[in-house]
Amino acid sequence: LQLKTSSEPALPSAALTALRSARFIDDINKVAYPPSILSPNPALNSNAPNGKFKYEKDFLMQFQTVFTDKPSIDWDQRMRDTVGEPDSARPMPGGR
Amino acid sequence: GSAPGPEDARDQLTVFHSPENFTVKHPLMNKWTLWFTRPPNKSDSHWSDTLKEVVTFDSVEEFWGIYNNITKTSDLAVKSDYHLFKVGIRPEWEDIANKHGGKWAYQFKERRSVAIDELWLHTMLAAIGETLEKETDREVTGVVVNVRKGFYRIGLWTRTVGVGGEGKTSKEARESLLEIGRRFKEILKLGDRDQVEFSGHSDSALAGSSRAKAKFVV
Repeated sequence: LQLKTSSEPALPSAALTALRSARFIDDINKVAYPPSILSPNPALNSNAPNGKFKYEKDFLMQFQTVFTDKPSIDWDQRMRDTVGEPDSARPMPGGR
Repeated sequence: GSAPGPEDARDQLTVFHSPENFTVKHPLMNKWTLWFTRPPNKSDSHWSDTLKEVVTFDSVEEFWGIYNNITKTSDLAVKSDYHLFKVGIRPEWEDIANKHGGKWAYQFKERRSVAIDELWLHTMLAAIGETLEKETDREVTGVVVNVRKGFYRIGLWTRTVGVGGEGKTSKEARESLLEIGRRFKEILKLGDRDQVEFSGHSDSALAGSSRAKAKFVV
């Protein structure tokens, strides 16, 4: 008899739960970002229809170290089925 | 209540306020699907056996969850590709959105010295951030990175080859494509002496992919 000690996680991480339940921003120019964060360029979305925004690279890059969790519970399996085995030696994002 | 602002100012916690309890996320203008082509093996009967749909997403946060947990381009085996296309469009010439179109592409021949991960990331960010084209252009269908033995190639696929129609003159259509090419060239950090080439898919199909004649150059 073999008992699996480390089974697939049954519960999503807090970040994944937040991702799933979060609403889409409907007016990007009304979001109050923390002072350290560069807000999206308002000119880029001056006549954006509701919920359809453009984002510049410098704004988008700020998320890189903030959302690092796997985007679904079955992510590892999905990687094995598509891209192949994950490289276990890979350091955390931002590392070398 | 005594809250100074509208109620949703307090409710709108972004991932920057709280990475684990955020209440709003950043929508993308389009949904995008990431595809992967693995190197072929002997049991494949058709090229399309090697092409797999990885994931579809529609927020900035989810994009980063994917990017931070997927193999980097520089770690992929030779003959692998990533394709990032608008949802519903297969990354193939035969797809209805691509069959009358073409691609801007640049081949990086110095595999060791080129910062391919950064360039591909910036290309994807320009695609999902919708800064590759004007809203009215509706040209971009997807972006691609190819890992090959002697080079990396990054491509940007468009719906047309700049011939006009659908309310656009041929001059306007051509100028839209050229402007997309110039933005793409900037994202790839290329210099004045480097040339990014545009070719139509049907030209490529006729001539063999590597021998297609460039229709435009920026």
